[in-house]
Amino acid sequence: MTQANDRDMEQNGGENMLAAEYVLGVLPDAERRQVAARIDSDPAFAREVDEWEVRLSGMADAYEPVDPPADLKQALDGRLFAADASQAQRVGFWSSLAFWRTATAAALVAMVVALAIPYLTVDQGSITAERLVASLSHDDTDVHYFVVYDAAKSDVGLSHVTGARAEGRDFELWVIEGSNPPASLGVIPVGSNVHLAVTGDLKRRIEAGAAFAISLEPLGGSPTGEPTGPVVAVGDLTTI
Amino acid sequence: MGVRLIANVRRATNLAPMTPQDISKLIVRVSMSDRSAFDLLYRQTSAKLYGVCLRILNDRAEADEALQEVFVKIWTKADRFAVSDLSPISWLVAVARNHSIDRIRARRPAADDIDEAMEVADPTPGPEALAVASGERAAIDSCLDELEAERADAVRGAYLNGDSYAELAERFSVPLNTMRTWLRRSLLKLRECLER
Repeated sequence: MTQANDRDMEQNGGENMLAAEYVLGVLPDAERRQVAARIDSDPAFAREVDEWEVRLSGMADAYEPVDPPADLKQALDGRLFAADASQAQRVGFWSSLAFWRTATAAALVAMVVALAIPYLTVDQGSITAERLVASLSHDDTDVHYFVVYDAAKSDVGLSHVTGARAEGRDFELWVIEGSNPPASLGVIPVGSNVHLAVTGDLKRRIEAGAAFAISLEPLGGSPTGEPTGPVVAVGDLTTI
Repeated sequence: MGVRLIANVRRATNLAPMTPQDISKLIVRVSMSDRSAFDLLYRQTSAKLYGVCLRILNDRAEADEALQEVFVKIWTKADRFAVSDLSPISWLVAVARNHSIDRIRARRPAADDIDEAMEVADPTPGPEALAVASGERAAIDSCLDELEAERADAVRGAYLNGDSYAELAERFSVPLNTMRTWLRRSLLKLRECLER
């Protein structure tokens, strides 16, 4: 070990070494808790920890699988889902969106990329196949919505991530199918989680694999039935 | 690594094969509170994660409790997978490993059960395992081989069994600060080697 390496270890490498020691797992309890708290509050440090997790992850191959006791899943479900299951699912979904609203745009992009991975072939029967999602954003604006289309409920749910509408203007949601002119789904109500009902022809367009766009319009929406203001966010629908 | 992990999971649970991409999608769906995805993820990965908990905690009852807590964390924190560079299996293993190490650090004030922990020895990979060992494992193994044997053992013991600095220092009969210097230097060498 050279002197230069020692200096690197003690100065520039100190933080990085702490991240490595955390991942290796050797830190005493108190220090480990401090580092865990730091991971939650310091994204740059959290990235260094993640990099070390990646570097060392090859060793985890040596963990041999062991079947857990058969009744353990039931106990786990009791712990997590003691309340009404459908209620829990809905609340959980939107509280998850609330988390994303505070997450970075990068996280959302990564999320949507993950969602875009083609669908798995196993256990198709249990999958909620009739939901489509889209992340709507634009390079030139900070407007960002996360959209979920639920075919069974004929409902479009919008979660507002970032970007305010200009004073005295409204956001209007459009569905764009192929080369057809955009069709309005209506003015997006103000709020962090809002819904628009969709009917007949609009449902068909959405399910045909359309894109969504948001334009900036006069209060109450476009007077012409076509977008009149700038498009502030766009995105393709993806099956989940 | 993913290939062999998946092979392990499949062997242990006799389930249809899943690719890392399949597991990714399950985690993403779990982040949206999809119960059927959670059930399937449990079926596909609980044996691997139980293996992690059991090896570190070396106690069935505690591993049972830890595995439930691990899946509670997966259910509530699955969003975080999206911002990690880890492969899906490695992310799940990291949740299980970190939680088990948290537990053992909180539990173990002294190094009085090192001998017991050491009874869970490294499984020797058979010819099949060697044949399917993929890039990540091969890379870390060859980099560990560049370290002195004792130091490589200390790194493996820390990572796989959750040994603390204090426990490693006692086992290798060196002062705690010496062990810390050993391991820090070993980690630096590993980083350099893996980045070559």
